[in-house]
Amino acid sequence: MPLRLLKYGLSRDYPVSGDIPATPELKPAYDVVIIGGGGHGLSCAHHLAKYHGIRSVAVLEKGYLAGGNTARNTTTIRSNYITAEGIAFYKEGVELFERLSQELDFNVMFSQRGQLTLAHTEATMRSFHMRAEMGKHLGTRTEVVDQKGVEELCPLLNMDYGGPLEILGGLWHADGGTARHDAVAWGYAAQASRRGVEIHQRTEVQGFEVVGDRVQAVKTNRGRVACGQVLIATGGMNYDVALMAGVELPIRCYPLQAMVTQPLKPWLDTLVSSVSLHTYLVQSSRGEVVIGGGSDPYQLYSTRSTLDMKEHLAKGAVHLFPFLQGVRLLRQWAGITDMTPDYSPIMGASPLANLWLDCGWGTWGFKATPVAGKRMAQTIAEGRVPDILKPFALERFETFRLLNEMGATAASH
Amino acid sequence: MKLLTCPMNGPRNIDEFQSFGPVRARPDPNATADRDWSRHLFRAENRKGIVIEWWRHVPSNYFFLAERDLVSNEVIRTFDVSELPERA
Amino acid sequence: MNRLPAPFGSRIDRSRPVRFTFEGKFFEGYEGDSIASALAASGQWVLSRSFKYHRPRGILSMTGADANALVQLPSEPNAAGERTPISEGLRVSAQNVNGSLERDRDAVMDRFGRFLPVGFYYRTFMGPRRDSWLKFWEPIIRRKAGLGVVDTKAPHRHFDKTHLHCDVLVVGAGPAGLSAAISAAEAGADVVLCDENPEIGGALTYGRYDPEVLSGLASRLEALPNLKVLTGTVCNGWYEDNWLPLIESDRLHRTRAREVILATGAIEQPAVFRNNDLPGIMLGSAAQRLIRHYGVRPGTSAVVLAANDDGYRTALDLLDAGVSVVELVDPRPAGEAGPLETELRGKGVTIRKGATIEAAEGTVGNRHLARIHVGGSWIACDLLTVSIGQAPAWQLPCQAGGKVGYDASTQAMTITLSVGSVHLAGAVAGVDELQDAIASGRHAAATALMRLGHAVAAEPAVTPKSVRPRYVQPIVADAKGRDFVDFDEDLQVKDLQNATKDGYREIELVKRFTTVGMGPSQGRHSALATARIVADATGRSVGEIGITTARPPVGPETLGVLAGHHEVLERRTALHARHVALKAAMKPVGAWWRPYYYGDASSAEEAVREEILAVREGVGLLDVSTLGKLEIRGPDAGEFLDRLYTMAHANQPVGRVRYCLMLNEMGSVVDDGVAYRMAQDQFYVTATTGAVARVYADMLFWNADWRLKVDVLNLTGAFSGLNVTGPKARQVLKALDSDIDFSRDAFPYLSGRDGMVAGVPVRVMRIGFTGELSYELHCPSSLAPSLWDAVMAAGRPHGLRPYGLEASRILRLEKGHILIGQDTDAITTPDELGFGWAVSKKKPFFVGKRSIEMRARLGQTRKLVGLQFPAGARNIPGESCLVLRSGAPVGQITSVGYSPSLGRHIALAYVHADDQAQGSRVTVKCRDGELVEVPVVAHAFFDPTNARQEI
Repeated sequence: MPLRLLKYGLSRDYPVSGDIPATPELKPAYDVVIIGGGGHGLSCAHHLAKYHGIRSVAVLEKGYLAGGNTARNTTTIRSNYITAEGIAFYKEGVELFERLSQELDFNVMFSQRGQLTLAHTEATMRSFHMRAEMGKHLGTRTEVVDQKGVEELCPLLNMDYGGPLEILGGLWHADGGTARHDAVAWGYAAQASRRGVEIHQRTEVQGFEVVGDRVQAVKTNRGRVACGQVLIATGGMNYDVALMAGVELPIRCYPLQAMVTQPLKPWLDTLVSSVSLHTYLVQSSRGEVVIGGGSDPYQLYSTRSTLDMKEHLAKGAVHLFPFLQGVRLLRQWAGITDMTPDYSPIMGASPLANLWLDCGWGTWGFKATPVAGKRMAQTIAEGRVPDILKPFALERFETFRLLNEMGATAASH
Repeated sequence: MKLLTCPMNGPRNIDEFQSFGPVRARPDPNATADRDWSRHLFRAENRKGIVIEWWRHVPSNYFFLAERDLVSNEVIRTFDVSELPERA
Repeated sequence: MNRLPAPFGSRIDRSRPVRFTFEGKFFEGYEGDSIASALAASGQWVLSRSFKYHRPRGILSMTGADANALVQLPSEPNAAGERTPISEGLRVSAQNVNGSLERDRDAVMDRFGRFLPVGFYYRTFMGPRRDSWLKFWEPIIRRKAGLGVVDTKAPHRHFDKTHLHCDVLVVGAGPAGLSAAISAAEAGADVVLCDENPEIGGALTYGRYDPEVLSGLASRLEALPNLKVLTGTVCNGWYEDNWLPLIESDRLHRTRAREVILATGAIEQPAVFRNNDLPGIMLGSAAQRLIRHYGVRPGTSAVVLAANDDGYRTALDLLDAGVSVVELVDPRPAGEAGPLETELRGKGVTIRKGATIEAAEGTVGNRHLARIHVGGSWIACDLLTVSIGQAPAWQLPCQAGGKVGYDASTQAMTITLSVGSVHLAGAVAGVDELQDAIASGRHAAATALMRLGHAVAAEPAVTPKSVRPRYVQPIVADAKGRDFVDFDEDLQVKDLQNATKDGYREIELVKRFTTVGMGPSQGRHSALATARIVADATGRSVGEIGITTARPPVGPETLGVLAGHHEVLERRTALHARHVALKAAMKPVGAWWRPYYYGDASSAEEAVREEILAVREGVGLLDVSTLGKLEIRGPDAGEFLDRLYTMAHANQPVGRVRYCLMLNEMGSVVDDGVAYRMAQDQFYVTATTGAVARVYADMLFWNADWRLKVDVLNLTGAFSGLNVTGPKARQVLKALDSDIDFSRDAFPYLSGRDGMVAGVPVRVMRIGFTGELSYELHCPSSLAPSLWDAVMAAGRPHGLRPYGLEASRILRLEKGHILIGQDTDAITTPDELGFGWAVSKKKPFFVGKRSIEMRARLGQTRKLVGLQFPAGARNIPGESCLVLRSGAPVGQITSVGYSPSLGRHIALAYVHADDQAQGSRVTVKCRDGELVEVPVVAHAFFDPTNARQEI
C-alpha cells in the first residue's frame, strides 16, 4: 500500500489539501492577468510563479475552474504531427506530461498506452509515412505499421479484408496517451495558488481599457483590474475576448462532440482512431470507452449535442469493433472549439504590446496544456517570444507561412 | 435533427444542406494591399450574434442565404440571393 | 418462494415457467419476469457488488436505472436486471465481482475505506518511478474499475431505424400522459404516445389506485385510430426542433414531432443513513412494482419509512401482500391523522411520528438487511421501504431547455420551460395528485393543440389543491460512514463534504472530483441529495447550487441501435463486371472500386510490367470512368471557366481541349483536368475523382455570387470513360465502325470530337496521362459495356491489353505528370510545380490570381523536381521520405517508382528552391535512416520532348 494511503487511513480527520482556495477579493492591480481559468491559463500561472518568480498573478475564470474545453476534451496526448515546427512543440508537450504528476504532486494519470491511427486508403498511408518520417527525424516514437502490425497492436479490430474499408495499415505512436483532464487543471491550480497566484472563479471579463498600444486594465463583472501583462487563454471564447481588445483573430468556432459508454472491464489498451470513419476510441482507467470524431459541419457557439453526430460516431465505433453493438452509451457532450485556418494554434504576440495570445487551440489544445503554459510564461516573463513558439505567430497568416496540420488532426485531435 | 427552411424546397432536415459559411466581403483584388488581402483570406466572421451565411440544398443544388444566431442556433430567416442587401 | 397469487403479477404468465441461471445456479421464473423479479421470487436478493467497496447490492428502484441491478449477459455487459426479461436458458452473472458474488475477494475493500478517501487516486500511485502509474498502478485500477465484461465474440445483431412524424408526441403513459394523448387525439391531432414500460398506465399499474381510472382511460384510448401507442419504447433524448429518438428494443424511431408533451413523472429518492445500501432496503415504489407487476413479496417483516401518502399506501400494499409491517416511521411531526393513517392504524400497524431511520445493520457480510435503528432502538426486519420524496424527471425537460430551480417554500425541485413547442404534464410539472395530473395532461394538450391551430377551448392550468411543504430529510454525515449518496459510485456524505473542503465547491467540480452522478444512473438518485449537501457545506441555497447539466441520452442506449444497419458507401463503374470477368484485382479508391492490375496476385509485378509494356509498345485500355465529368453550358461558359481556372478558355476554339488548373483563393492548387469546348456555349470538363464533388459545389457557389449565364451539370455517374492509349491506338479506333476521322491531321493532339463509335454516341478527346498517342472515349454509362466490348474486340489483333491503376501510376510518373493530392498539398502553388505555363498572364482575374502574385513576391521556398536514381541503386527511399538540407527537412518524396522503360527508379520530390536546377544533388533520408544523394532531373523522365503523344 502506498504510504500516502496509510497517512489517510491513520489520520483521525480527512486531511484537507485545499487544492482550490475560495475566490478572494479582486485587487486593483496585478503584474499579470490571465484570462481563462482552464488548463492553459492555470499552467501559465504555475510556470510564472514557480519558474519566473512572478506571483502577482490573477487568473480570471467566468464560470467554474476548468469548466470549458479542459473539462470537455477527450484527453489525447501525442506528437505525431506533420510539420517540423508542430512536432517539435508537441514533443516537448509529451515530455512535460511524462513528469507532470511529479511536478504537480498530483496524479494526472498520464497513461502512455500508445495511439494507433488507421488507414483505409493509400492516400492515408502516404500521409502516415510523411508523419512517421518527420516524427522519426525529430526524435519521436512514430512509425508506420502494416496489416500484421495493426493486428498485433489491436487484435480485436475488424480489418475488413477485401471490403471497402479494409485497414491497410496504421500509424503507431508509442508516445501517445491520455491523462485525467480535470486533474491536470486542478494540479496546476493547487500549485499556483500555493505560490500566491489568485484564482477568481465566476469572474467574467467584459472589456479592456486600451491606451495606445497597451492594455491598461481589464473590466470584469467584479470590477476593474489594472494589469502589467495580459494573456488570453479562453478556449472557445478566444475570438470573442480578443475582439473586445480590438484584435480580430482568424478563428471560427465549431462544436466538437464526444460520448462515453458505461464502464467495462479493460479490453482496449491503445487509443484507436480511423481517418476515414472520423471516429476514435479510447478506454479510460475507469473502464468507460470514450468515443469522438470530427467537428460539427457549421459554425456555432453552443454545447448542445446532436443525435446525428451520436449516430455517426456509433456507426464508426461499431464498424471498427462490431462486438460493441450491445455496449451501452451513457452520456454525450460537446465543447466549443476555436478553429484556425491551418489547424495549428496561435501563440505569442498580439498587435498590442502587453497582450499575449494562447489561442486557436481548436480540437487539439489539451495535449499542449503543460508546454503552452511553460512557453507562454517564458514569453511573458522575458517579454519576447522563444524560438519554439515563433512559427505559431499570428503574423503567419499575412506571410502564408501556414503550419498545415489538417491531415494530422482530422480524426485524432 | 435541426430543420432548415430552404426558400425553394421548404423545411428539410439539415443533413440535406451544406454550409458555406458567412457571407464575406469581396474586395477588389487589384485595389487591395497585400496585408489587407491576406487578412481578407483568413479572417472569419465569428461574432457572437446573428450572421448571414451561405447554404446549399444539396439534392437541388440551390444556394441561398440564412440569417442564423451563432449562439442560440436559431434560424431567423432564409432567403434567395436576390434579396441580399448591398454588401459592404 | 416469495410468489404471490393473482391478481398480483400483472406482467407474468404463471402458465409459462422459464428456467435460467444466475451465477451458475438454476432459477425458475415466469414469462414476463425480469431477471431481478425472478431472482427475488426465489429469494436471491443480492444482484451485484458495489463499485469501490464491493458491498452486496440488490434492488433499489426496480426501474433499471442503478448500477445495483446491472448484470452480465453472455453478449451484453451492464444489462439492466430490473428491466431485462428472462428467457429460457439465459445465462446471467453478477458484475464487479472478484471471485463469485457470494465470495468476493475484494469485499475486504469495505474495511479499508478509511485508507481510500475521496479523490485518493489523485494523491498517490505516482511512484516510485516516473512510469509507475502506467506500468504498475493503472493496470490494477483498470482491472478493479469497469463493470461488465464485453464479449468480443458477440454474434452480429440486426438493428434498424425508421422515421415517425406526428403532430403531438406524448412521452410517458402515466395518468397525465394518457390524458394528454387522449385529449390531443380526440381533437383530431395525429398523436404518438410512448412509454418505456411494457404496458400503459405508469404508476396506475403498480400504485394503490382505483383500477377504474386506468381502464376508463384505456378504453377511450383504444377508440382513437389517430393515436399510436408505443409501449416498451423509451424516448431517450430531446434534440433541436423536436427531433427525438424513440428506442423500441433494437429499433430506433427517429421522430419529428410538431409539439411534445413530456409526462415523464417523478423519480423517487432514497434516504441517506448508515448502511442505506443493504439488500432489502428499497424505494416504496420498488416494493409496489414487485408486488403488482411481478407478484413478488418483497419481504416478510417490514419497516416502512414514509414522509408522504405514497409511503402509507405502500404500507397498505405490503399488508395486502402478506408482509408483516412492524412499524411505519414518519419523520414528520405528529399532526391530524389522514384517512390513510386511520386505515393503517385500523389494521394494527404501529405508526411512529417525528422519527427517522438512523442506521441499518446487515446479516453476515451485509448480504441482507437485518435490523434498523430508529429513535435509539433497534428493530429487526428484512425489508425497509423508503418513501421520503421525489424529484421531477428532469432529464428530457432540461435537454429541451428547461431550467431546474428549487422552491424554498415547498422545498421542492422545480422545472420551468419557456413558452414553446414543449410542454410538461403531471408529476414532472410538480403535480402529484391523480386528478390534478389528469387535468394537467388536458391542459398541456389544449396548449399544444392551440399552437397547432386547432380550435379548442382553453383548459385551466392546474394549481395543486393543497400546497404543502415537502418533507426534507436533514442529511448529516454518519460518524462511521457508509451512508451512501451515490450507490453507483459508492459515495458517502463525507466524501462530498470533503470535496468542498478541498475547494471543489461548484456542483460541476464536486461531480468531477468525486464522480458523483457519473455512474449508470446519471444522478437520478443522487443529484438532489448532492445539491443539499453541497449547499449546506458551502453556506449557499440549494437553488444556487443547482444540479449538473442533463445531457442525452436519458438512459443507457446500445451503440448498436444508434449505429443501425451500417452500409458503407461503395461505387462501381459501369464496367465493373468486365473487370471482374478479366480477373482484375479490384481495390477501393475513395468510394470507387478500381482495377489495380489484371491477373493473379502471385504474378502482380509481372502483370503490371506487361501492362506498362503494352502501352509503351502496343496499345492499352484504361477505365477512367471515375473521373469527374462536368458540363458547363450557356453563353457565359467561356467566361465562367476563365474565372475558375488559370488558363484561358474564353478564346478556346470549338473542338479544342485545354488543360485546366484550379486554385483556391489562397492560390493553392486544388484540382486539374481538361476542358473540351464542344460548342461556343458548351464545355465538357473533367475533374479528379476525389475532388469532383467539391469542385462542382464550388462552381455553383461561385456562380451564386457571379450570376453568370451558365448551367453546371455533374455527369460523373452518368458518363463513363475509356482511354485507348499506345502507339497502336489509332489502328484500334480505325478498326471500329465510326463517323469520326481518327487520322492525325483530322484529329490532332489536344482536340475533341463527338460522334458515334460502334453504335455508341461518344465524346472523344486526344488526351492522356501516359504520354502515348491516346484517345479518351466518353459515353453514357449504360452504353459503356458495349463500347468496351467493341474496343476490346477491335484491339485483339493489335494486342490491346486492359491495364489497371498500378500501371497507370508508373506511366504517368515516367512522364512526370502530377497527381493532385499526392504531389500537391494544401499550400502548393503552380510555381512550386513549375506550372508557370499553365497560368495565364493576360487574364484580369481568376480565383487565386491575387494570392499567387503575392506569394511569388514573398519568395519561393521549395520546388517539385524529378529525381533519378542510378540503375541498380541499393537503397531507394519510399514515398514521403524526407529531403534534407544541412540536416533539416526541406521537402519530401511525393511519388516514386521503378520505370521499366528507363530501367531505374524515378521520383518526384519537393526540394529547396535553391536546389531546383537540373544536375543539383539532393540528400534524401531513406526509411531505414540511411542518407542517399540523388541528382535532380527534368519532370518528364521518358520522352522528354513529348513527341510520342502527338504522332
